[in-house]
Amino acid sequence: MISKRFQRSFDALDQVFGFTRRFYECEGVPDAERLVFDFCVEEIFTNFVKYNRGNLQDIELALERSGDRVQMSLTDFDVEPYDISRAPAVDISLPLAKREPGGLGLQLVRRLVDELTYDYTNRQSRITVTKNLR
Amino acid sequence: MFEIRLGDKGEIVCEGRLDASNAAKAQAFLDALAAPEVVDMARLEYISSAGLGVLLRTQKRLLQSGGGLRLVNANRHIRDIFRYSGFDRIFQIDDGI
Repeated sequence: MISKRFQRSFDALDQVFGFTRRFYECEGVPDAERLVFDFCVEEIFTNFVKYNRGNLQDIELALERSGDRVQMSLTDFDVEPYDISRAPAVDISLPLAKREPGGLGLQLVRRLVDELTYDYTNRQSRITVTKNLR
Repeated sequence: MFEIRLGDKGEIVCEGRLDASNAAKAQAFLDALAAPEVVDMARLEYISSAGLGVLLRTQKRLLQSGGGLRLVNANRHIRDIFRYSGFDRIFQIDDGI
């Protein structure tokens, strides 16, 4: 497993994606899966940023491949519990006039991965997603 | 890296990765256009929900004037994201300009 902490900022995404790219190359993650993993990492990372704006702590990203499974964990430190894995669903069948931006990212993450878990321990929120490589 | 500009035929050309770090740039560009119509995504590698929000806000603005965006040449990843988001119901998505 490899891990790294990143500044709590949208501007850190370039560094985050640089880190995931090196992981994909080292672990031979197929090209078709890389964008899906990056999507999941971005959605969880930016949710941590958006909903804990006053927090100065970095966000940790840990990546691991085990056989045909890839696991990604993001940890937010010194925060109140907020299980973003239970965020309300967006009704994607609504017509354009009734659609509003927001809330879609984590719904898509749940759609894209095989498993999503939330853990809150010692004021640390951790979201872990697991996906089988096809 | 993300770039957005007008192409030779007046289409909007998006290139690179449209993520949360550059969604504001994309939104500002689209907001400055009175009636954008075609978005060429042939060189757009990746889009996140921040990018979806940009497209949705623009589409809702255009709805008031009877217009709308037509999204063309999206790759498989982006088409999957559109489908899972229900965007294939609120945007015209085509293979070519």
